[in-house]
Amino acid sequence: MMRRIGYAALAAAALAVAPPTLAGQTAYEMYTLPNGLRVILAEDHSAAVVAVSVWYNVGSANERMGRSGFAHLFEHMMFQGSANVGKGEHMQLIERAGGDMNGTTNEDRTSYFEIVPSNRMNLALWLEADRMRSLAVTDANFENQRETVKEERRLRVDNQPYAKAFTDGLTQPFDSATCFGYSHTVIGSMEDLDAAKTEDVQRFFDLYYAPNNATLVVAGDFQPAGAKRLIEEYFGDIPRGNDPEGVSCALTYGTFGKTVVVEDQLANLPAVIVMYPIPPHRAADTRPLSLLGTILGGGESSRLNISMVREAKTALQAGAGSQSRRDHGLLLTFAIANQGAHPDTLEAQLRAEVAKLADGGVTEEELRKAKNNFRSGQVFSRQTAFGMAEALQHFAHFHDSIDEIDTDLDGYMAVTMDDIKRVARTYLTRENSHTIVVVPQSTGGDR
Amino acid sequence: MRSRVTSTHRVAKFTLLLAAGALVAPTTAQAQFPTEPPTAGALRPLPFPEVQQVKLRNGLTLLVVENHRLPILSIRISMRAGSRDDPAGMEGLASMVGELMTKGTPRRTADQIAAEIEGVGGSLSAGAGADFFSVFTTVLSENAELAFDLMSDVLLNATYPEEELELARTRTLSALQVEKSDPGSLAGRYFQKALYGDHPYGRQPTEESTTALTRDAVRSWASAHLKPEGSLLVLAGDITMAEARRLAERYLGGWRGATPNVRYASPPPPRPTAITLVHRPGSAQSNIRVGNLATRPIGDGTYYAVEVANKVLGGGADARLFMILREDKGWTYGAYSGVPTRKDGGYFQATAEVRTPVTDSALVELLRQIRRVRTEVIPDSEMTAAKGYLVGSYPLDIQTPQQIASQVASAILLDRGIDFVRTYGQKVDAVTATQAMAAARRVLRPDSAVVVVVGDGQALYDKLRAIAPVSIIDVEGKALAVADLTPKATALALDLDQLVSRRDSFAMIVQGNEMGSAVQEVVREGRDVTITQTMSLAVMGVRQEMQATLAVSPIVMRTLDQSMEFGGRRAETHLVYADGRVTGSAQTPQPTGEVQTTEVDSEVLAGVLDDNTVQALLPAFPLAEGAEFTVNVFRAGEGSVAPLTFTVVGVEDVTVPAGTFTVFRVEVTGGQLPATFYVTRDAPRRVVKFAPTGQPVSMELAK
Repeated sequence: MMRRIGYAALAAAALAVAPPTLAGQTAYEMYTLPNGLRVILAEDHSAAVVAVSVWYNVGSANERMGRSGFAHLFEHMMFQGSANVGKGEHMQLIERAGGDMNGTTNEDRTSYFEIVPSNRMNLALWLEADRMRSLAVTDANFENQRETVKEERRLRVDNQPYAKAFTDGLTQPFDSATCFGYSHTVIGSMEDLDAAKTEDVQRFFDLYYAPNNATLVVAGDFQPAGAKRLIEEYFGDIPRGNDPEGVSCALTYGTFGKTVVVEDQLANLPAVIVMYPIPPHRAADTRPLSLLGTILGGGESSRLNISMVREAKTALQAGAGSQSRRDHGLLLTFAIANQGAHPDTLEAQLRAEVAKLADGGVTEEELRKAKNNFRSGQVFSRQTAFGMAEALQHFAHFHDSIDEIDTDLDGYMAVTMDDIKRVARTYLTRENSHTIVVVPQSTGGDR
Repeated sequence: MRSRVTSTHRVAKFTLLLAAGALVAPTTAQAQFPTEPPTAGALRPLPFPEVQQVKLRNGLTLLVVENHRLPILSIRISMRAGSRDDPAGMEGLASMVGELMTKGTPRRTADQIAAEIEGVGGSLSAGAGADFFSVFTTVLSENAELAFDLMSDVLLNATYPEEELELARTRTLSALQVEKSDPGSLAGRYFQKALYGDHPYGRQPTEESTTALTRDAVRSWASAHLKPEGSLLVLAGDITMAEARRLAERYLGGWRGATPNVRYASPPPPRPTAITLVHRPGSAQSNIRVGNLATRPIGDGTYYAVEVANKVLGGGADARLFMILREDKGWTYGAYSGVPTRKDGGYFQATAEVRTPVTDSALVELLRQIRRVRTEVIPDSEMTAAKGYLVGSYPLDIQTPQQIASQVASAILLDRGIDFVRTYGQKVDAVTATQAMAAARRVLRPDSAVVVVVGDGQALYDKLRAIAPVSIIDVEGKALAVADLTPKATALALDLDQLVSRRDSFAMIVQGNEMGSAVQEVVREGRDVTITQTMSLAVMGVRQEMQATLAVSPIVMRTLDQSMEFGGRRAETHLVYADGRVTGSAQTPQPTGEVQTTEVDSEVLAGVLDDNTVQALLPAFPLAEGAEFTVNVFRAGEGSVAPLTFTVVGVEDVTVPAGTFTVFRVEVTGGQLPATFYVTRDAPRRVVKFAPTGQPVSMELAK
């Protein structure tokens, strides 16, 4: 008992002294080149490092039926050489400069970055400009990367237990007629990739990899005048493309309630995923839903871990988290069964913990911890030039105004215990849930 | 406009220039897009923030690097004691202090310490290196008070609970067992020993020294060595000197005393190059280390010149060792060099892991490349690439308060001076090719080098002897004679009464949970024995089937067929043993998920068993209390015969799902991983449990 009192007192003290925001305002400058390229510069001389980040406003959500997988395939193509950069040379030039680089694709955008010592900003900008203006879309490169992508799908999805449920499964709540974008996976269909012609790839490049569909962020240790001059020189004469059409995703909350059984020959224990569609990232409810996800299933002291893994011992692993997107996202709860636990039991326990949130809400202490976690995560993630560049890109793409980079956290800190209860009641209902039960293939008939 | 399919870069560029001209030319006079990568601009002096320094009354040096850009605070306390201060016979003591420090104080249990730091989204840890002991924490700066409270509580009041010591000891002993089967760890251990001799840097934790650790020893080491005088308290991030001082006085003001000043034994003087061969029977690969003691002073620039020379020689995937040994010759997955710093004298080393047949060639090449960097002026292109990387990557290492605190602490603890962090780039950039060569000549000593090779002694001894004098030891460090390298064909007499037809079911236990099952069947008809085993491991998606046929009395292996499915892939092995040879093909999964296929065609002596039959035949082996014997087995994955050593270390009761049994505890070494078998003492004997050392996995008899 004594220990408990000590801990609570300390917690209260910490709460009393906690200033709720990030220190200061984020300084940045934003402008658009005549060809439509959006440029964001964020100067910060605390380290001799510059991060160059280019986000193309295209993800798997922009793909058309029968042409899935292009956005991700492009991420690969972008390292295969351009007019003045040979195959593999991009990587070598950055490494020899002491830097770091990579690319990633998700539903809503494709990102590329270089982190370099500040005197090599010119190299990073030049490399990005060269591939934006002259990517080598050749039959050979396309063929080669198509095979690489297939291998990636084989390694990461087809050969990992539960991976299909967690990738293909997350597309199930979305109807391909009303929301094709989220109704297929980022990696796409291998049949679509096989059917694709090099011309299709070139068309995709022309439409989405034009400067008017890209945002260039330069963050870190540079002089704005010099950076602007280089950006003008390298990117200024890249021709504008046609403006791509936006994509829409329609969905009606509370019209789900289905259970899909997935047989998984790689899994030997059952698993259950219950997912709930949630609003687009820019909606206010994103904040309480995110904190709810942490309280329910983020980490060792989360409710699902304590009740299912430690106490009932029905689950080997249990967790939850929200995945918000430009358009509708998902809040997931999941559990992998311990030996002997039936999937029905897991599902009932997952739903019972969700019901407890809707009925009884969360404690002040739980909410405080979730906010602390979110806040420190935000601060730690902006320590580096690269972290700052990615934060600017995030706010430029998924918020109403990039200025929310300084106010968004206030919204999280203002979330109340009632807000959590309210969003639990609004979104985490049986009618708004989609359930996937993974059964090992050999016992597929049990359920 | 860009929709035309273009098949070459040149055409693409041409089209683009036309397009660009058409659109933009009327308004702006554009400079043409450069076709070559832009060159590097000058590197300005690193913006390393001011380091404020003050000595507190208790002798603790407080260093503050203010950075208020974000509300982050990184704190690090570093003391001048480490594993070099482990008493002889208690190697591993300082590390144990680090491991246990956050596991409880009079005010907080281990769980509470973890919950408090996680509750504010921060981190806390402690650990010992060779020379220094450090406690670290990173928090949002609003939690500075809590961070100091936690750090000072664990540093000054840790209780080092007995039960936590026992848990940590078990983990360490398992890790040491596993290390013995890892050629890289063995090479590192014996290289340090050969290099430093009786100097504490040459001493390493062993099973005996780990077993000798006591709670009293842990507590008294901590109280004798972890003292404020001469120690550093480094704060980097969102804090002022005044606040830092207040916190330091409040939480660490009562901490008193000085870390003892110790003189350590001298390391051995340089001797002509000699090789220590660590005999690892049947090893398909050899692990090579070549090096010498090396100090590289900062003051005269040697430090920076060696940085460059080392980068050219072996500092990465475009350095000479990697390019020549891997890319040109295809001998190895990797070959590197480095010059680790130690407070009491560092060293130079070059390493490579190569296939057994090319071991001597690889060693000769390593020595040749070391000589070359000492005698040939490095060409400009290599100088530029090496300096570009060293200078360019350094700023990426000093971005965050944690990184800065670590760099400041190292600069002072290693007597580099605080300017080191500011001027590193310029100093490296100023190194000339002649200076790099001259420094390499002073610091790299291929003619008085220590060489350690871990590998199959029988295959290597004669070849290595042609390069330099060779002394041989086994993996335990025991001296061996040349004759010991020849495998003794021990004619193993099986106790046929114990080898009866039977069918055993096993549960596969992973981290305490039953995650799969196995069935083993032995059918014996006279001399003929057929062993069948199926195994499936849940969650990981692993299934395995194996069938072996052999004759007994005397032992004659006949066939081995195995198939394994893992993560949707399949690996198959089919071997035929006949006329003193084994032929066929073996597939083994690699850690990368790839399947490696080995064509097998090797000589095998009479009496050699296939590796896969050991568990089923073990009941018929000559088991008795205190018995020790060796069995030669063929390991298809390695394509070679290796001796397994079985030691019956005791008789005990063991409980498995099938019940409680009185068993021989049999430890096996010489395989891929050391392991323990539990075999019933009473006839007919059965294996009731099998557990590889250091893995959270066991196989237990279910029925």
